[in-house]
Amino acid sequence: MKLCVRQICFLFAAVLPVTRLLVYPATLSFWAKNDLLFAAGMSFVLEGAAVAAAVFLASRTQKTFFELLESNFGKTAARAVYLLFALFFAFSAFLPILEQRGFVLQVFYENLPSFLSFLPVFLVSLYACAKGLRSIGRAADIALPVSAVCFVILFLMAVTEGDYTALLPLFGTGTGILRGGAFGLPWYTGGAYMLFFLGNFRYERGAAGKILLSYAIGAAAVLAFLAAFYAIFSDIALLQQNALAHVSKYATAFTSLGRVDLFFVFALTLVLLFALCIPLQLSVHCVCTALSCKTALPALAVNALLLVLTLVFNQSYLEIQTLMTQKLWVVYACFALILPYVALFLRRKDRALPCRQRREA
Amino acid sequence: MNAAKLFVRLAAFGAAFLLLLFFSNDFGLIDIQKTSIVTAVAIDAGEEGVDVTVQIAVPKSGATTAGNVTVKNAPTMVDAIAELNLKTGWYPTLVHCRLILLGEDAAKTDVFRNIDYFLRSQFVEDTCLVAVCRGSAEKALTAQSPVGDMTYAAIEKVLSSEAQQTGLVSVNILRDFAKGYYGAAGSGFLPLLTVREDAEGGATTSSGASESASSGSPSDGKAVFDASETALFVRGKQVETLNAEETLAFNLADTDTDFAYGNVTVGEKGEPVIYSLRMKITKKLITVRTEGDLPVLHFTVRARAQVADVNRAGSPLEVAQSSIVPENVLRAAEETFRTKLSDAFYKAQKSGCDLFGVCDRLQRFHPALWKKLGTDALTAAKPVCDIKFDTLH
Repeated sequence: MKLCVRQICFLFAAVLPVTRLLVYPATLSFWAKNDLLFAAGMSFVLEGAAVAAAVFLASRTQKTFFELLESNFGKTAARAVYLLFALFFAFSAFLPILEQRGFVLQVFYENLPSFLSFLPVFLVSLYACAKGLRSIGRAADIALPVSAVCFVILFLMAVTEGDYTALLPLFGTGTGILRGGAFGLPWYTGGAYMLFFLGNFRYERGAAGKILLSYAIGAAAVLAFLAAFYAIFSDIALLQQNALAHVSKYATAFTSLGRVDLFFVFALTLVLLFALCIPLQLSVHCVCTALSCKTALPALAVNALLLVLTLVFNQSYLEIQTLMTQKLWVVYACFALILPYVALFLRRKDRALPCRQRREA
Repeated sequence: MNAAKLFVRLAAFGAAFLLLLFFSNDFGLIDIQKTSIVTAVAIDAGEEGVDVTVQIAVPKSGATTAGNVTVKNAPTMVDAIAELNLKTGWYPTLVHCRLILLGEDAAKTDVFRNIDYFLRSQFVEDTCLVAVCRGSAEKALTAQSPVGDMTYAAIEKVLSSEAQQTGLVSVNILRDFAKGYYGAAGSGFLPLLTVREDAEGGATTSSGASESASSGSPSDGKAVFDASETALFVRGKQVETLNAEETLAFNLADTDTDFAYGNVTVGEKGEPVIYSLRMKITKKLITVRTEGDLPVLHFTVRARAQVADVNRAGSPLEVAQSSIVPENVLRAAEETFRTKLSDAFYKAQKSGCDLFGVCDRLQRFHPALWKKLGTDALTAAKPVCDIKFDTLH
């Protein structure tokens, strides 16, 4: 087994929530304004349900998603679906790469540095992709203590600085909540991740509860952060593109020491880097499974593709974000939210085996 | 050790090393010889554009001195910054800018025409202080400070959070000023900075020549800064000014002020006697209630007062019991505070400035009435002051 339940719990509680603390809060503020908590809550419920569906599937079968597809539709169809998912994961990694590029270059550098400064990320990603799914679990093990400590400290520095009445009146933005929920889907791909963890971890008694509780903890942390974020910035929230680096800078306790909060932002950037690698790792995993090959070449190809795309669209974050959120959110909904449900309808027993053997199996 | 394991370990070390380089900003070293660290920006209305003066920290052995550079008639802030680079050879970095000063003329038009530049790409931390000056912002920023060469540091002290806590100044930062501007009523306030001559001589300025750099060499003429007044803004334009007493009342009712000094005059034996009170605010609350279709702004303030001084000689017992304020003085303090707070409210209301956030509060707590009244809510609003001063017993 490449993963264990603990690592999946850590991933949902400590890694994925951090990815929703950069541009996502400003995007939500633009569409849902003071109702951003409801928009985010809607997305969390949808993604949580997709995760729950995949966990339920894991409790019923030890097969991987590929094996399930293969036993239902044959090997060729399974390969085709995996290649489609490989494209989806590579595609879904593109926006976070541009997002983190902007974050790192703006927050950590005083003068605009050369793009070369960001290139080592692809080498790290290449290494992670070459190591396969097992490294996702190890990264989650490292990320949990970092996230738990740094997020709590940053949140405590921010929580007293806001005016929480800015979140009123509730449900005042009408369709803005639905738009915010839909256009925020590029940040909710956890359901698809869980689908590809099927068969790669040993389902134990109570695992579903643990994973869903971890997911709920991560969701609660993000919602609390969003509330503090909007309370601090209210009408100018949509201007705060890198929310993680801004919410804690108003704490006066450490004013004489300077921006001490940047130490914790710095540490969380490491977690963001781990999170950035996950879709690329899954993309490589899909290619390798579909083509029955080793990881080296697909890892190189996927990272090279993303590197070229990043170079080409280096200065086009806004256009890419608009495209991904407002036009292509349906793609995210299909792959990350709907397909985990559809997977529930896959026959989980091998068609070729006679009844008696199936019972024994 | 086989080749595969060796490769894996080399790759791990390589990744760790690259991470170190990536996060340690080694690729982004700043050449201090080519970069000027701007500590403050002064913005004035020019004849054909905007006049921008920046105060640059110049490191010298043993101390940091200031250099002031002015660019006249730039079409936009970006042009002004580019011209600074062109004229001085230094590329100005604004991330350490702690103060934005706006000139009196600049505040007659929408000041966000210029200062939204600082919000666009977060060139400046939005925690930086913003103030408006009487007269020219350039003159204020280039005035000779009595506490050193860095004038911005002297102004920053006048506008410090400590000054805010004592109620003497209504401090505002870029974030909060922008929130007001983009908020429901488009209103805001800024401390009004006045440069005053001190006893030794007049306030001095630099040569004032365009694109000239002047280092702040000490001279006899020194200036002190007073920010006890507050400028009120509507849609980015200055529309009214609160005097020092109204500013204190505003601070006691609405801002972070929790410990303040104020004077109260009472008649004793037919003579006016001034009591200087030290006030500890124990509770402050502003709520909007509705009376029919009228929004009513309720101010609730509770304070404990002590006698700091009286302008007549006190008996030994009175001096010993400074913590006890006579009942008539407490009532007079309540009345004075109530009057000044009402004055501030009506002055702001008349000018169209939603100083106390009537529109925001109505929008949040009474959205139906807000939809009905819109920004007319401000003109329809009336204040109710529930102010009680108490003393130690």
